[in-house]
Formats: sequence, structure tokens, C-alpha cells
Amino acid sequence: MSKRTLPRLLQTPAVLLLLVWMLVPLSMTLFFSFIRYVLNSTVRPEWMTPSFTNWRGLGNYEYVLNAKDFWFAIQNSLLIVGSILVLTVILGLGIAVLINRSFPGRGIVRVLLISPFFVMPAVNAVLWINMILDPVLGLNGLAIGGINNVVDSLRDFPLLGHFFSLWPEFEPISFRATQTSAYAVIMMVTWQWTPFAVLIFMTSLQSEDESQKEAATLDGANAWSKFRNLTVPHLARPIAIVVMIQSIFHLSLYAEIEIVSRGNGNKNLPYLIGEFATNNIGAASATGIFAVILANIVAIFLLRMIGKSLMD
Amino acid sequence: MATVTHSSRLGNILWPTVAWMVAIVFFFPIFWMVFTSFKTNADAVKPEFLFSFTPTLENYANMAKNYDYWRFATNSVITSTFATLFALAVGVPAAYAMAFDPSARTKDVLVWMLSTKMLPAAAVLYPMTFLTKNMLGIFDTHFLVILVLCLINLPIVIWMLFTYFKEIPKEIIEAGKMDGVSTWGEIKDILIPLAWGGIASTALLTFIFCWNEAYWTVRLTTIDAATLSKLIEGNRAPEGLFFGQLSAVSTAAVAPIIVLGWFCQKQLVQGLTFGAVK
Repeated sequence: MSKRTLPRLLQTPAVLLLLVWMLVPLSMTLFFSFIRYVLNSTVRPEWMTPSFTNWRGLGNYEYVLNAKDFWFAIQNSLLIVGSILVLTVILGLGIAVLINRSFPGRGIVRVLLISPFFVMPAVNAVLWINMILDPVLGLNGLAIGGINNVVDSLRDFPLLGHFFSLWPEFEPISFRATQTSAYAVIMMVTWQWTPFAVLIFMTSLQSEDESQKEAATLDGANAWSKFRNLTVPHLARPIAIVVMIQSIFHLSLYAEIEIVSRGNGNKNLPYLIGEFATNNIGAASATGIFAVILANIVAIFLLRMIGKSLMD
Repeated sequence: MATVTHSSRLGNILWPTVAWMVAIVFFFPIFWMVFTSFKTNADAVKPEFLFSFTPTLENYANMAKNYDYWRFATNSVITSTFATLFALAVGVPAAYAMAFDPSARTKDVLVWMLSTKMLPAAAVLYPMTFLTKNMLGIFDTHFLVILVLCLINLPIVIWMLFTYFKEIPKEIIEAGKMDGVSTWGEIKDILIPLAWGGIASTALLTFIFCWNEAYWTVRLTTIDAATLSKLIEGNRAPEGLFFGQLSAVSTAAVAPIIVLGWFCQKQLVQGLTFGAVK
């Protein structure tokens, strides 16, 4: 046996499995995206079996690009991903700096903070939309009800009561409408992924050069300018990683959208694909190809960065 | 360890307090879920019982009856365990070869493996349904769920193992070769004992990812192989009637994993950033 054969042999199962996993379904999607293919049609039953004779060329892509839903889903996906990124990075940086020094109970604080990351997405969504955000029975509704009660009781006071009687009843926000359920999704995913940002920023903060900071202190730099000029540049790379990894994960966000927004119009690309896939497979596949392109825009940068740091 | 060198007395009290408050706010939803799971369904939605109530275990006792909990939990345990084992069985030899016998293309292969992880699952939703339902007839089987969970985690498994194996001095493996140990012997008697910690944390993290997976486990199952994700997803809108029950089943679904998660915080950074953050 030659020297190279054995290592190759050991890698073969992994490479083959991943190759099949990547190529077979994806080439089917590509094929379906170029043909007319529906699951139910009484008028054109020949479209119900995938075949080259139903070739449609770029017709599915044209159909998808002209669909109002598609542009809404793109816009909504970007809104959701963008908001989550901004919130998790800001919160993550703040919290990482906050706990990056020793204080009583730091270990417990870390354990409490990391916990949301391990909650399964389905539970996360069910927990937030029902027990926390429900406008009647959730904490949201209970809290607003409580405020209204307090205001009500203040109305009976002499003098001051006049002031409070001018206040309107507060209405709790319902998070089940199209737009507000997008906010609900942003909230719950931010809650789940801020710990991830915190963990990565903390790991990175601990490799920061302390002597540089001490020198800056001796030169009279204040805490903010040290953070701005030393810590932020040091964190540039972890921030980029957090942004890219989260983009890839959240572009395919599914369980939260499905649970929070079924049927209310708050859809993202994966959800739209699921909707198309109940009948129009051609359109679902074309949308899928757009999703792959969108994910690849981010993935190329991320992979290049990871590749560079691989061998050192 | 970073410490602030000149900190005021006020800061010494203020910032830890803020840190504690932030941690409590973040943990609150989980606490609330566990807390509500000890209330009856009726008490759970009444403001007067918000914090004071008579705790009950009836929600946990009724879990099997109301949700068929154990059947879904068993499926989760079976699929996550076997997916993890298979991913390790395929991943350990591959990572071993890449770490100790790297070729010019090893780096490209690793990056390519990772790229498979970045394909949006939804893009291949219908082909996967078509293949497994119409062609192979394995839709809604444990085998399918195990296979898919294994495949989506394989890149992470290989990457994590690769970074652990790289830390092991090559000379130790070389010495084994000199003594005429077979490749299998090298893996079994030298590599695995040396990298035991790394392999264990890779397994733990993979298990957590499998357990929490919520796209394929929901879309490729109906009843027979349905996992806890599917159970919870199916009870998404209880209309407030079953908050107590739902909290209990949710707690039972996530509590073991949160505890496991506490033990692998460090590995999480490595597993999710592919060694790009140190």
C-alpha cells in the first residue's frame, strides 16, 4: 500500500457522504427550478411528474421575481437578520466587557447568561409568544393590566386624581400581527443568540494584550478611549465572525417563524419555500436557488476568513 | 485574565450589580417556564397567583397522558445518540488522517466540508421529501432522521476533532508506527486515549445540536420518528388554556440539554467558529 492511500481511504466515507448530501438534493432543486412541476393539477396532469418535456427555462425564476410575496419575504428576511445582528453585537459587546473581570458569583452569572443558547428553538418560540408576549394571558398582558389597575386606583386620590383621570387605558401590543410578529421573532432570537456573541467576545477579550492597556492608563487614557482605541480594533475579527455565522444561521430561520406567524403573512425565504412547496415545486425550487445565492454571498467571505486562520 | 487596574469603589459595587441584573433578566424566561410548570393550568393565567400559588406536580404526572411525552423523548434520545455515534465513527478516522497525514489539499477539503453546512436547508426541502417519500420509502423513520442529523453535523465534528488532534505531537503517533502498530491500533490505543477529552466534548456538543434541530426533524417526520421539536411545534398555540401543561413539557424537553450545555461552554466557541476565534 502506498503512503498516500491509507489517509485517503480514511477520509473517503466522510467525503463521499458529504458529496452525495450536497450534490444530489441540490441538483434536483436546480432541475426542478427549470421545469413546470406541480403536485396537483386537474387541467395539466402532465405537469405532475418531473420531466424534461415540461421544460420551462427561466420561467419559474421570472414567476418568482414577479411575485409580491417573494420581495416581501426577502425584505422581511433582511429586516429580521439585520435587527438580530445589530442587537446581538451591541448587547454581546456590552455584556462581555461587563463580565470580563472577576466579581462575586461570576461563575453563576456566566451559567445564567449562556443558558438561553441551549433552549431548543421550538420551545423558545412557544415560550415567548404564549407565556411572555401574549396580550391577554402572557406577562405582557398581565403587566399592562397591572399598570392600568394602578392608574385606576390613583384616580380616586383628591387633586392628583384629576391628573390621572386624563390618562387613557393602556392597550397591550399583540405580537400576532404581520409586523409585530416579526418583532417577536427578533426579540426571541436575540435572546437566544446574545449569549453566543457574549461567549465569543469574552474568549477574544481574554487574549487581549494587557500591557498595552496598562501603558495607555499610564498615559492618562480614560476607560472609554481605551475601549474605543484598543479593545474595539482587537474585537474587529470576532465581530466579523459573529456577524457572518449568525447571518448564515438566521437566513434559514424556520421554527420561530412557523410557530409565531403561521398564516399571518410574516414570512421569510425558508417559510415562503415551504408555502410554494405545498403545490408549485418549480417556484419553490427557484426560490431555493435564490436562497442558496443569498447564503453564499456571506459564506464566501466567512470561508475565506476561516481558511486563512486554519493552518496557523 | 483581564482586570481593571484602577477602579473606583463605586464601580466595584455598581458593575457587578449590573452584571447580575443582566444575567437575571436573560435567565428569567427559563425561570418563568420552570416556575409556571408547577402551577395548575387554571392558576397559570390568573394574575393573583403570579408569584404565590400552591405548587403541584400534576403537569409532570400528566405529561405522558396529555402529550405522549415519552414517545417523542425516546425518539429524540435514539436519533441524537445514534447520529452522534455515527458522526464520530466517520469523523474520527477522517480527522485523524487530515491532522497527521495532511496533503496539499487537506485545507481545501476542510473548507469545502464546512461549505456544505452553509447551504440553506429550505433550498433542498422538496427534493429531500421526494427522495425519502417517493423513491426510498424512508420518510418518517429513525434511520432517516439519524442519517440527516449525522450529515448536517459531520462538518462540525470533523472540524472540532481536527483542531483537537492537531494539538497532539506528531512524534507520539510516529513512535507508534516505529513499533509496528497498525493504523487501527494507532487510533484505538494512542489517539483515542490521548484525545479523549476533545472527543467527549465534540460528542456532547453534537448531541446538543441534534437534540435542538428543528427543520429536518419537523419536515421529514410525521409520527413514528417525530422528536421533541415536532411535539412542541405541534402545540404552538395553546390559547392560554394549557400554560401549566405546556411549561412542564417544555421544561422536560430543554432542562437536560441546558445542564449538558453548561459543561461545554468552552467547546461551544470552538465548535461554532471553526477555530477562527481563539
